[in-house]
Amino acid sequence: MLVAMSETITTNEYTDDLRYEVFNREFMPHIDSMYNFAFRLTMDEDDANDLVQDTYLKAFRFISSFEQGTNAKAWLFRILKNSFINDYRKKSKEPSKVDYQEVETTYNSEEASDTTYTVDLRADAVQELIGDEVANALNALPVDFRTVIILCDIEGFTYEEMAKILDIPIGTVRSRLHRARNLLKEKLKSYASSMGYDS
Amino acid sequence: MNASLTTPSITEEAQKQPMKQKCEHHAECMKVIQAILDDEATEAEKDHFRENMDKCLPCIESYRLEKCIKDSLSFKIEKKPCPQSILTTIISKINS
Repeated sequence: MLVAMSETITTNEYTDDLRYEVFNREFMPHIDSMYNFAFRLTMDEDDANDLVQDTYLKAFRFISSFEQGTNAKAWLFRILKNSFINDYRKKSKEPSKVDYQEVETTYNSEEASDTTYTVDLRADAVQELIGDEVANALNALPVDFRTVIILCDIEGFTYEEMAKILDIPIGTVRSRLHRARNLLKEKLKSYASSMGYDS
Repeated sequence: MNASLTTPSITEEAQKQPMKQKCEHHAECMKVIQAILDDEATEAEKDHFRENMDKCLPCIESYRLEKCIKDSLSFKIEKKPCPQSILTTIISKINS
């Protein structure tokens, strides 16, 4: 789990008081975002609870590797994402084998799909959808694609921050996001069609 | 402003060319449109976007759709508050 912070290990001196102060001031304000991220990754309330708790306890334990003044939210999200991969993904209720295969296939065909890809979906149809329908479409995506959309469109991270959180190059962030959005449009199109919004 | 009351300049004439109904480099345009909406576009991409945005129907529609999806994700999806029990457990564990 220390791998999560390998780039950021420094020799910051923290007194006990400072540990609590930084924890409360820098980390606690992000707990709602962290909880929602955990829930959208695990799709399970109990797992989300455990994941958030584990992440915050790790963050406290390894607080000396957090450099004050840097982006605490991105630092926390990175720990949570790594904890999810290491501890929760295996027991996740998602069919992960299918996910891996789909991710690999879509990445390999990324360029080909980029040049030919269009989804027949109108903005007006999306506007008609309610939040739960949008959330269901998002939740139906394989977790790696779901993650980039959550980080970018829901949490507002920059590509650079996403690259650090996910340990991937910025170019991969861009292409994964592009592919994720195309997949999301397909899901939204299904919802819009089933609701008769696109006719 | 009533355009018929003024003599159009050459530039205005050029801008009145029929809007493109088909985009021959739509895949590239989609990347730029998403970068613009994500506030990650380069200056060159922003310039290209400003100059061409109102000339291509597929790109205008794509921009509207991408923006609508992004806004829906940002504003429509419910954000739950973290349960108090998690906060209580975290605080008690780091204080023990």
